[in-house]
Amino acid sequence: MAEINTALIGKEYPPYAVTVERVKIKEFARAIGDLNPLYLDDRVGAASEWGDVIAPPTFAVTFRDETADTGALLRDLGTDISRILHGEQEFELFRPLQPGETYLCRARIVDIYQKTGRSGPMAFVIRETAIADRANEIVATMRHVTIIRL
Amino acid sequence: MKYGKVYFDDVKVGDELPPLVKGPIQQIQLTRYAGASGDFNPIHQDDEFARAAGMSGVFAHGMLSMGFVAQALTDWAGAGTVRKLAVRFAALVRLKDVVTCRGRVLAKSSKDDVNLIELEVWAETQKAQKVVSGRATVALPTRA
Repeated sequence: MAEINTALIGKEYPPYAVTVERVKIKEFARAIGDLNPLYLDDRVGAASEWGDVIAPPTFAVTFRDETADTGALLRDLGTDISRILHGEQEFELFRPLQPGETYLCRARIVDIYQKTGRSGPMAFVIRETAIADRANEIVATMRHVTIIRL
Repeated sequence: MKYGKVYFDDVKVGDELPPLVKGPIQQIQLTRYAGASGDFNPIHQDDEFARAAGMSGVFAHGMLSMGFVAQALTDWAGAGTVRKLAVRFAALVRLKDVVTCRGRVLAKSSKDDVNLIELEVWAETQKAQKVVSGRATVALPTRA
């Protein structure tokens, strides 16, 4: 693949809903080795200003849907998973994500460009995901830069 | 003190985060992170696959290192304080690497009763190779 399909810039993926499960928050925190009691201990969560446990700052990366995830992006671009690297990642959090809440995620491709690096030509694909609560208030956003080795 | 409370008033520009040392990275942690995050790219699990993809072997999910950096922040500032975390993955973290996460306060600001600390954050391996670099914003309580 020598060229990347920049016609995908602006593409919006179908919105998808995610309900956060308590056990997934704990599994995620433990996988990082982050044993903060505000993630792991329900009693500490209940006594906190949040009223329950909260998710670690990077937890929203677990929000996936096969119609809107990296697999969908790879299908759109006609490339495969062995060609990609994670270039950059950003989270903006207006309040912590919490168990039992259902969030609506809207992902779109905001930019695609090509550059030639030390290891040859690469494409940069920038996706943004807005995460809203049931009241349609944005609680978090993610920005994800995927590098494709062309 | 781990999970101690940090007040906005007590933070000064130039202050450094207590370093957080993670690892050595083991395959089992990458497998566990794959399950927890849903990122099952075999490049983090299968050495043969990684080599066929032109890499020198399995390497860690960038998001795992970002999780370490987030932990360095919340160990210091408290869980639930992070408003923004933006990083670039500068180099690959490989098996057996020890990753040390660090940070330094760049600026303080207050507006509408929200007190923000901006930091530069980074992570480096035992070979002093920078693997993550970025910026973070945390909201802290005041003593008043």
